[in-house]
Amino acid sequence: MVELDSGYRDWHGRLRPAWWACWPIAWTSVRLVLRRKLFWGLLGLALVDFLFFFALIYLKAQVSVQNPAVGRFVDQFLTSVTGAGKTYRDFMFAQGTVTMLLLAFAGELLVGGDYERGGLTFYLSRAVARRHYVLGKLLAIGLLVTMITALPALILFIEYGLLASSLAYFAENWRIVLGILGYGAVMAVSLSLLLFTLASWLHKSVPLVMAWACIFVLLPAIGEILRHTYDDRHWRLLMFWRNLRLLGSWCFGALTDNDTELAPAAAGIVLAVWVMCLLAAIPRVQAVRVVS
Amino acid sequence: MPLFELIDVTHDYGRVRALRGVSLSVEAGAIGLVGQNGAGKSTLLQILLGLIRPSQGVARVLGLDVRAAGVRVRGRVGYMPERGALVPGLRGVEFVALAGQLSGMPRLQSRRRAHEVLSYLGLEEARYRNLEQYSVGMKQRLKLAAALVHDPQVLLLDEPTAGLDPEGRSAMLGVLRALAQRPNRSLILSSHLLGDIERVCQSAVILDRGTVVRTGRIEEFRQAAAKRFRIRCSGDARELLGSLRRQGVEVEAAPGEDAAKLHLPPTWSTRDVFAESLRHHVLITSLEPDEEDFAMAYRRMLATP
Repeated sequence: MVELDSGYRDWHGRLRPAWWACWPIAWTSVRLVLRRKLFWGLLGLALVDFLFFFALIYLKAQVSVQNPAVGRFVDQFLTSVTGAGKTYRDFMFAQGTVTMLLLAFAGELLVGGDYERGGLTFYLSRAVARRHYVLGKLLAIGLLVTMITALPALILFIEYGLLASSLAYFAENWRIVLGILGYGAVMAVSLSLLLFTLASWLHKSVPLVMAWACIFVLLPAIGEILRHTYDDRHWRLLMFWRNLRLLGSWCFGALTDNDTELAPAAAGIVLAVWVMCLLAAIPRVQAVRVVS
Repeated sequence: MPLFELIDVTHDYGRVRALRGVSLSVEAGAIGLVGQNGAGKSTLLQILLGLIRPSQGVARVLGLDVRAAGVRVRGRVGYMPERGALVPGLRGVEFVALAGQLSGMPRLQSRRRAHEVLSYLGLEEARYRNLEQYSVGMKQRLKLAAALVHDPQVLLLDEPTAGLDPEGRSAMLGVLRALAQRPNRSLILSSHLLGDIERVCQSAVILDRGTVVRTGRIEEFRQAAAKRFRIRCSGDARELLGSLRRQGVEVEAAPGEDAAKLHLPPTWSTRDVFAESLRHHVLITSLEPDEEDFAMAYRRMLATP
């Protein structure tokens, strides 16, 4: 046993209100995820997609400046990089796969581990209420989602504006920023609630990945089969990620006629998922295990 | 103001009743919470922390109702659970600093204070190690550091010496004893190890099957043994012991041994024992107080309905 320091010193300071604790909870959780090599690999994958878009915007701008005729020709093929809201919406939608993978594996680290190893008792025995713990964890998941989706989309928007012929691009397309933030917020809130709830029930990575796969792979597959079978587009509402995309399109003001028909139902489903997640998560946070 | 106060507190886990109408008022100081497994110690601690709501009754800590002001209570209390309650993946100093921040300390101050507390508890060299690399003893000290980081008014310690080797246990008890002696600070130590309680605490609350068997100062428990003596006589003392027994003295005598234990009734003194020995012509060679430690007093209390 190591010899103890002889003196204990009192601490005199003012304690902050409990709301301040949400940030350390969130930041600690994000830091735990970023300490694993696996997640750096997944973030690298997300970066590949971002760099691809980044390079396309750059090349397109360079070609347009150096040879406008070629630029117009290229524009006919590069319809996904037009600088309109649709460009950023599609980019954020495309980040879905990596986001799903990252969250599926991070669930245990972010939330499940607290239930498995008594971390919940640690958090709740401090000067925080259950709502602060939940908010901190949701914030952590939301930060990860934003890091992969909304943040790079904003960087692409800035890049596009800076490489455009004039800075008027920013003034003309300010609504795109709102679209990015809105779509980002919808994704962050939905995925945070869903992951928190699942991880608080399932704890471990394997069942969590399976449940995640059911929601984001199996259900969409079933939805697609049913859509073909019954020739009814409403079956697509089983695709949760696509429902989020519809809400994203609304945020960007890029709803097509087909989308407009499905958007209210998609919004209802997303809202219902939020409510169900909250209802399912509340008892899990109230159930602090007896320590000894 | 009492340190904590319970008014008719009952708590059920489904059909299992963990606490049964406990009413208790405890003054500040170093208090031991004693009881066997299942006595309700941990439930009581969690009620005091506001982690679980009692099925019935009111609990107050430092005058604050834990139901209404749980966060404020926890800001003034440092809790060290027996098991778990760690965040794997963090380094020692990060864990303690996080505990400080969650208690409301500003980031830089909690970091500085974490270093200070870890040094105090002898974990200075291990502070940058991951929690997974800590031994059981180190984890216990780390949890104590996390409980201490915001310098709480009250420390709640749940089996702090669990899993420690004798040397580690002794060191931990030394620290707890030192912490218990700080002015204006209190400590509630829950343990089934009576030696730990005796070494650290000034008073104790004895729990058994969800009820409070007895509360009082540790010395008072020992004083309960004031009327207990060991008697040794020369020659045959059976007649004397029989007479004492008939007059209400509890006598424990092993057959074939010349010594016996006496528990005198409240109205009796040693003078009465000597008078009785004269009447029976028995020479008492020694009559010594039968010293009872806290553990023996505890066992006696649990055995007495």
